[in-house]
Amino acid sequence: MRQIFVRAIGGVALAALVLGGAAACKQDEGGTEGGSASKVCDLKIGFFGALSGGDAGLVTPGKQAADLAVKQYNAEHADCKVSIQAYDSQGKPELAGGLATSAVGDAKVVGIVGPAFSGESETANPIFQQAGLPVITQSATRPSLADNGWAIFHRGVGNDFSQGPAAAAYIKSINAAKVFVVDDQSAYGAGLADEVKKALGATVVASDKATDNQQDFSAIVTKVTSSGATALFYGGYTEEASPFLKQLRAGGYKGTFVGGDGIYDANMLSVTGNADVEGAVATCPCAPATTAKGTFVQDFKAEFNAEPGVYADVAYDLTKIYLEAIGEGKSSRADIQAFLKSYNKAGSATGVTYKWDDKGELDPAQVRVWSYIAKNGAWAPDKEIPKA
Amino acid sequence: MNELINGFPVLTVTGLTQGAIYALVALGYTLVYGVLRLINFAHSDVFMIGTFGAIWTWSAFGFDANSPRPSVGGALGLIALAIVVAAILCGIFAMLVEVTAYRPLRARNAPPLAFLITAIGASFVLSEGMAAFTNRRQFGVPAMLPTDPLFSIGSWQVTPLQLTTIAVAILMMVALDWFVQRTKFGRGIRAVAQDANTAALMGVNKNRVILLVFLIGGLMAGVAAVLSDMKAASTRFNVGFLIGLKAFAAAVLGGIGNLRGAALGGILLGLAENYGSAVFGTNFRDFIGFLVLILLLMFRPTGLLGESLGRARA
Amino acid sequence: MPETPPEPQDASERDVTSERDAAPDARTTVGVPAEPPSGESTPAAAPVPAGKKALLEVDNVTLRFGGVVALDKVNFNLYEGEILGLIGPNGAGKTTCFNAMTGVYTPTSGEIRFQGQKLSGRARYKITKMGIARTFQNIRLFPEMSALENVMVGADAHHKTSVPSALLRLPRYWQEERSGRERSRELLDFVGIRRHDEAARNLSYGEQRRLEIARALATRPTMLCLDEPAAGFNPAEKDSLLQLIRDIRDTGVTVLLIEHDMRLVMGVTDRLVVLEFGKKIAEGSPAEVRQDPKVIAAYLGVPADAA
Ligand SMILES: Nc1ncnc2c1ncn2[C@@H]1O[C@H](COP(=O)(O)OP(=O)(O)OP(=O)(O)O)[C@@H](O)[C@H]1O
Ligand SMILES: [Mg+2]
Repeated sequence: MRQIFVRAIGGVALAALVLGGAAACKQDEGGTEGGSASKVCDLKIGFFGALSGGDAGLVTPGKQAADLAVKQYNAEHADCKVSIQAYDSQGKPELAGGLATSAVGDAKVVGIVGPAFSGESETANPIFQQAGLPVITQSATRPSLADNGWAIFHRGVGNDFSQGPAAAAYIKSINAAKVFVVDDQSAYGAGLADEVKKALGATVVASDKATDNQQDFSAIVTKVTSSGATALFYGGYTEEASPFLKQLRAGGYKGTFVGGDGIYDANMLSVTGNADVEGAVATCPCAPATTAKGTFVQDFKAEFNAEPGVYADVAYDLTKIYLEAIGEGKSSRADIQAFLKSYNKAGSATGVTYKWDDKGELDPAQVRVWSYIAKNGAWAPDKEIPKA
Repeated sequence: MNELINGFPVLTVTGLTQGAIYALVALGYTLVYGVLRLINFAHSDVFMIGTFGAIWTWSAFGFDANSPRPSVGGALGLIALAIVVAAILCGIFAMLVEVTAYRPLRARNAPPLAFLITAIGASFVLSEGMAAFTNRRQFGVPAMLPTDPLFSIGSWQVTPLQLTTIAVAILMMVALDWFVQRTKFGRGIRAVAQDANTAALMGVNKNRVILLVFLIGGLMAGVAAVLSDMKAASTRFNVGFLIGLKAFAAAVLGGIGNLRGAALGGILLGLAENYGSAVFGTNFRDFIGFLVLILLLMFRPTGLLGESLGRARA
Repeated sequence: MPETPPEPQDASERDVTSERDAAPDARTTVGVPAEPPSGESTPAAAPVPAGKKALLEVDNVTLRFGGVVALDKVNFNLYEGEILGLIGPNGAGKTTCFNAMTGVYTPTSGEIRFQGQKLSGRARYKITKMGIARTFQNIRLFPEMSALENVMVGADAHHKTSVPSALLRLPRYWQEERSGRERSRELLDFVGIRRHDEAARNLSYGEQRRLEIARALATRPTMLCLDEPAAGFNPAEKDSLLQLIRDIRDTGVTVLLIEHDMRLVMGVTDRLVVLEFGKKIAEGSPAEVRQDPKVIAAYLGVPADAA
């Protein structure tokens, strides 16, 4: 049945691809006529990630920020506009391949912001690599993504090697004597949990694994409560973390719940409910978007009538790097790829200096990890976790 | 192993609770199979609709994930109301599935493969329909019952939710047992299950019996959905998939077509999963569950109690 | 003797739109004679017992299975209160005739009327509710149900309890359940089955045949069709069956009997219809039919007065 399920999804993806491709072709025909001889206009920046589904809370603020950046650019370049092309993967690797292929097939798409998650990156990036379509991810933090030899790969944040030790440092800072570690067996969650275990050593009294879509956590809850742990680290995403946390609380677990940026989203708060999520901690290799520099926070609020959410500032800066390239007349994927390789400037919102090494990683000195604590139904920035 | 020994009481109670939910859902699979020899794959999605039915009911009364826990009396009232709403909603959707997806095929004597495809199709229509309707979002369940143990005997503790779940499940199963054994509708169901054509010649309206079977399966799924909501604490459009698969396995484990088998299979699966997770790690949870199923079927191909709705003393 | 063949179509599927009962409400119960049906027509050709009304009219019925003509322009009437024997060699079309009457098959041409109403196109369960009941040549009980429950399924045919009233256990539920149970026990006693709570499959062969009769009677038929009820019986059992059939008739039920045992047929029937290769070859009183050379030829080597 699982097979059938996956295949059926594959079929849907294929259909989407064919339709998407057809639509893209049509747009191509219309698009090329407008621009002047020297400049190529109507170029597109792809935005790739979960725009719907349980994990959308981690990705949609970034999409909004990218839209904002493009809107601001277009206001100054009314004669030669750029647009955002959204690729909604729902965060699912099985959908990512089809979407990547359709992005590659659209010649107007010259750069991608995303893919947002590690799992989907593993499916999509090989396709982008073949087509030479550069990507900068705002939030896929699995370290091994950088080890695949994808020249097109750039990471706009720190990876789990930086987040894992920071989460461990946080847990140490609250003096937890016994720590229980759980992950969801995803590329992201397991990688992060392994880093935490490595950094915490003997204080980890036990660990266990959850599965994708799990609803019933009674066995793990029993283990956690009987282990006497006073802190629990969860490597994974909100979809499972939220019911898990609620069931932990219902099962009598009183300790601290710590997760990575996978749970740092609004759904974690609203789905879990204030009472149970209160005091939960999320680490994130991102400074609070609300403390972003420049006019970003103001502009974002003016545009969307809401505080910028997670990774919004990062996605904003990354989109602006593409826009800067396009503004300088770079119109092919190869040109933009070359532009990224030699880029070395600080982002206006994050203040982070974007300079990538051969593998597409940022300078570790640039990576800052923050802790956020759920308070009264909001993620309150706690502190920048000091490097261990 | 240590974990199994230390956690045995808790693992047993939580396993029974989850098993009770599997059992209620399994009844729907087994009833339909018993009468139509058809695996109604859409049943898992009927269950999923029930999980939303409960959440909508509670939100109509102003309860969401952030609401404070109501008083115990209030909680019981809200739970009862959600059970009624979810059961009716699920019953309606289950009958809709029968009338739109299966009955037209039966009228045309379609081959079994066609039923399989429409079953899977109906399942997708429901789950993807709900996905579109809810924008694939995850919804938190408001807190209802207090979480402190209600009573404890040694290291055996039972929370209000666990007691409610098990009690409601037993109540539903006893009611179903009575209905199938002691009413003309139950006799009609068993008659159609044993020999549909002869039943028709004895004045049994087969289509009405089939509709009734879908309705009962839906009602059970609706009740299970509310209990599962409170236990899992969140829902989304695809929650039916895994629970449906487990409940179907439970039905096969007990002997598909056999009502008591479904109940037994559900409980056993719930326990096996919990014990297995304690010993081997939760990543082996589904592995254990299905391993038990395969091993049992090797030795008892028709499941624990055998396949027969007729023989089933419900 | 051919087994009941695979059924080509499930007739009960045909009328999914209408759930209402078309059957008239005046019905016979055991012990209460049927009201005389109205609006009957009386074909001139057939010998009409004086003062009797046609309950069932088989009007020029042809039924084909691919190349096989199982019934070929068959005409006969069944009159109220009589016991009509339908006889003929193996494969003559007798069971097929029953199947056409009870809605299992739809005639290729011609029509069958019951109390003046056309039967074709009606769902089987509705035909049962109109007052036609039957037994089967090869026993078709609900094997896992008790004898009592088997009969109660038949009795349920006329029960009006709704699902909610059953769930709430309203008085109607109790009353119908109780009266259905009592009547079913009476019928079991009537056909001579003592082990009411034994699963049907555990009953003896003879008991199973008689249980089929009890179940059919429970549907309160005006007309009862018995398909070889004596098959496999010893002489003593046949004698008591003969008496049972008479008793059933005496309660006001019209009986249509398929039977190979000539002694039984000659002893109990008022009239006979003889089929051969799907055609009616004779009709009349047992005495007339037994003299008929066509019948003697059909039963080659089986003198009508033997057995
Ligand atoms: N569904 C069917 N498909 C094809 N042929 C059929 C079908 N039903 C009956 N027949 C054929 O129709 C003819 C009449 O069969 P039927 O069973 O009515 O005979 P019968 O008079 O009852 O015989 P018996 O005394 O052996 O029971 C036979 O040739 C039989 O093979
Ligand atoms: Mg026959």
